[in-house]
Amino acid sequence: MAKFFELIKPNHNIEFSGRMNLFLGLSMFLVTLSIAMLPINHFWRGHTLNYGIDFRGGTEIQVAFSGEQDPGRIRAAMQNNGFKDTEVVKIRDAAFPNTFLLRFGAVSQVSEKQVPEVEAALRASIGADSLRKFDFSEGGDKLYLRFNKPVEPAQIAEVLKSKGIKNNAVQRYGRPEDNAYEVILVGLDVEVRSALEKGLGAGAVHAIPSVESVGAKASSELLADGVKSLLFAIICIMVYIAVRFDFRYGPGTIIALLHDAILVMGAFALTYREFSLVTIAAILTVIGYSMNDTIVVFDRIRENASRLRDKKFDRVVNISINETLSRTILTSATVFFVTLAMNIWGTGVIRDFAFAMNVGVIVGTYSSIFVAAPILIWLNERFFKNVGTKSKASA
Amino acid sequence: MERSWVYRVVLYSLLTLVALVFLAPSAATWLGKDDKLPTWMKKHVQNKIQLGLDLQGGLHLVYEVQVDKAVSDKADRLASDLEEKLRKEKKVKQVRAERSGKDEIDLQFTPPTDAARLDRTFLKEYQKYLYEDGRDAAKGTVKLKIDSDYVDELRDYAVRQGVETIRNRVDKLAVAEPTIIRKGTDIVVELPGLKPDDFERVKNLIGRTAQLEFKMQDDGSEYMKKLSGVAVARKSEFPGLEIGHDGWQEKDTGTPHSDVYLRDKDKGELERFLASLSKDDAVPSDHEIGFEQVPAKDDEGTTTPDKVWRTYYLHKRAELTGEYITDAEVNWDPQTGRPEVSVTFDHEGADLFEKASGSNIGRKMAIILDEKINSAPVIESRIGGGRARITMGGFSDPFQLQQEAKDLVAVLRTGALPAPLKKTFETQVGPTLGRDAVEKAKFSMMIGSLAVVLFMLLYYRVSGFIADIAMVMNIVYQLAILAALGATLTLPGIAGVVLTVGMAVDANIIIYERIREELRAGKSARGAVDAGFGRAFWTVFDAHVTNLVAGIVLYSYGTGPIRGFAVTLMIGIVCNLFTSVWLSRSMFDYIVGRKQNATLSI
Repeated sequence: MAKFFELIKPNHNIEFSGRMNLFLGLSMFLVTLSIAMLPINHFWRGHTLNYGIDFRGGTEIQVAFSGEQDPGRIRAAMQNNGFKDTEVVKIRDAAFPNTFLLRFGAVSQVSEKQVPEVEAALRASIGADSLRKFDFSEGGDKLYLRFNKPVEPAQIAEVLKSKGIKNNAVQRYGRPEDNAYEVILVGLDVEVRSALEKGLGAGAVHAIPSVESVGAKASSELLADGVKSLLFAIICIMVYIAVRFDFRYGPGTIIALLHDAILVMGAFALTYREFSLVTIAAILTVIGYSMNDTIVVFDRIRENASRLRDKKFDRVVNISINETLSRTILTSATVFFVTLAMNIWGTGVIRDFAFAMNVGVIVGTYSSIFVAAPILIWLNERFFKNVGTKSKASA
Repeated sequence: MERSWVYRVVLYSLLTLVALVFLAPSAATWLGKDDKLPTWMKKHVQNKIQLGLDLQGGLHLVYEVQVDKAVSDKADRLASDLEEKLRKEKKVKQVRAERSGKDEIDLQFTPPTDAARLDRTFLKEYQKYLYEDGRDAAKGTVKLKIDSDYVDELRDYAVRQGVETIRNRVDKLAVAEPTIIRKGTDIVVELPGLKPDDFERVKNLIGRTAQLEFKMQDDGSEYMKKLSGVAVARKSEFPGLEIGHDGWQEKDTGTPHSDVYLRDKDKGELERFLASLSKDDAVPSDHEIGFEQVPAKDDEGTTTPDKVWRTYYLHKRAELTGEYITDAEVNWDPQTGRPEVSVTFDHEGADLFEKASGSNIGRKMAIILDEKINSAPVIESRIGGGRARITMGGFSDPFQLQQEAKDLVAVLRTGALPAPLKKTFETQVGPTLGRDAVEKAKFSMMIGSLAVVLFMLLYYRVSGFIADIAMVMNIVYQLAILAALGATLTLPGIAGVVLTVGMAVDANIIIYERIREELRAGKSARGAVDAGFGRAFWTVFDAHVTNLVAGIVLYSYGTGPIRGFAVTLMIGIVCNLFTSVWLSRSMFDYIVGRKQNATLSI
């Protein structure tokens, strides 16, 4: 017989099934910890998870400064020019040396609070009764105005400017007799740049590599959709497994997958890494991938169950896990190393994705052996014992 | 055995050749050697892997169409229409119609007995839009509600208009590969490769409320004859410029109309020509030149698939704007069997339109959305009653005509009910950010792949080498399919490719471990390979299916970069099933198939 290069020798017999309660207990502890991290984070760090801009709503701007900058001074410069509560984080692996990430709640140049002031200024300048409608789309970049009489667009622009609101264009729309106007506001990045240059000196900003802004409604929808799609994927996979194997195998997969998803989220809660759309994508990938190991183990259990009819079901499971242990570990290892490389040398999005995959591969492998299999045994003992003996008798 | 092996080699070589052909244009672009491609390839294999905007920089915007606003606007309009009609036709002295909520209209009659005048026959005209939801005869109030099917139609049209408007505007920008996708009531706009300096300008352009105008053509003018003379004289400067002649007859009197116009495939050249005109030749201040994109005709007058821009010489003053339109829809003319578009104006609009049509019979009226002429029908008679029909002309097939009619309706409704767009999501990426990220992603991909390749070689030796070849082929096929689809590669998409590298060998590991087991059980090399591949196949298959399920869900959930990731992942999974199961199987068959006592290095 040929010799193989083996990490795990065949004929080993590690006891898994007998220690079921121990591992289930550990899993339960980790799941509880993951969930408990949410309220803990809420009080300790301010948010349940370090939600990215896509879930939190607001604006995230990367600013590359021309020289060394102090986060405190940046925050002050923003504060003094109308951007309250700006989070300033230095980015270490950016393309430019002095790059900071600025994050704040505003998504447009005009804030809700400013709206009444602007309205009052318009009334004062153009005539108290002449302004019929003043519409500001929240999160929008436009103002809609309607007057009783024709007004020169330049006059509107002038009034807005006196209130510190710069605009790109004031244009008429609608019927001429409507006297309706549309004001297109200046983009936030332009505003941030001028705020920073005012506070830190002209030329302080070298470049703005990226801007991302998400309205409040979009962000809550995205998060809800994300959770929905996770559950949907889990259910689809469970149904597939229940059909391909038999329905005893379904509940184990669904719990193992939930377990994986919760633990990955827990890892993000604990490390307070940014939790974004990409994280949801990574969790979905983890869910798909973590099934691979479960299928390998389940497949062997099914094969052995018909072969080793004289053995008790939990023994069959234990033998199957042992027999497939080397491939379970090897397959996970290859994906783990690839994603580890991305975690170490990748940047931004890639790194967060890889981190989620790293955690996911580990908990996914763990859960196929220590969560999915014990639940299968338990279900079998609890509900199918009689079915088993009957088939044995007839065989 | 030997024969089937030969067939398989031929098949796989062919597949690989096809894959390489599809991949060649993308590879040439990445290496900057586009000019070295053979001409047949440039002609027939045009699809390339596009770089997503996170890689090459650009602008990603998501607008929410405020569909409820479209519904409540319509309710407002219906309310004022009802009021006016009750006064005029039913001689109701005092009635107030007001919208309540989103889709209800409350009418209050004084005296209350007048409410009886709002009867079934009156409402019949509105049955498509409204139904009676309650009435209090003593108080003289009637509650009407907008039909829910009609509400759905309104919402749908509102989004469609939004897409149409944005597409019109983006087309003007000349961005290389813009995508505009509708997602529910959201419109996703992606403009990869857009320069940061243009972000502000482009956002302004897209976010603006659309303007719909109707302007009259001044046909047979001396000015256009003069202008065509200038164009002929300066042909050497503007080689693409051509002169076109147009002729039609008035329907009732048969009076002939004729016109001269300019046409050019390149709109930019037309604009440059007009801008270069001397003061004496310049367009008179009360006129302007409009542009329409029309199918080009060949010498015999039949239409060709090419498009050209043609000019219209228009009176500058707009006869009407879109705000006077209350509705537009597609109908079928029972006599000709052709689709037609019927437009309904409100009361003021009806008066204006009657005057405008009456004094311009036989002329063409240009329907202009955002300064682009969408259609220019001939006015056949004086049109009263606030309803106009636009007959769809041309020789196109009925399906295309219907499509054109629908587009025109979307344009007309844009003026009627501009549903506001609200920006809900914005990402701007400068080009440097992308470049840096790609460099780092490439590096990590290389390290990761190398680790996997080495591991497989060490652990499984020759069999590991087979798995490595299968993995490389997997990447080739994956990228080739991406190229053939013209798919977009994003940063997470690269992660998807790297991830596929890790997953690609997984199937091989599962199969190899099984083969080892069979060998340990004392099977011959050939028997072990057969049993290993046979037994492990369904395990591998199931594992791939669950991965695919996750990929599909991800695709339907995500936008932009996430979608790119899902696409790469799904393609990778499908290719992987092929390479790790069938392709590597063939290589094994070659090794164990020739000799009786073959040994396996695994």
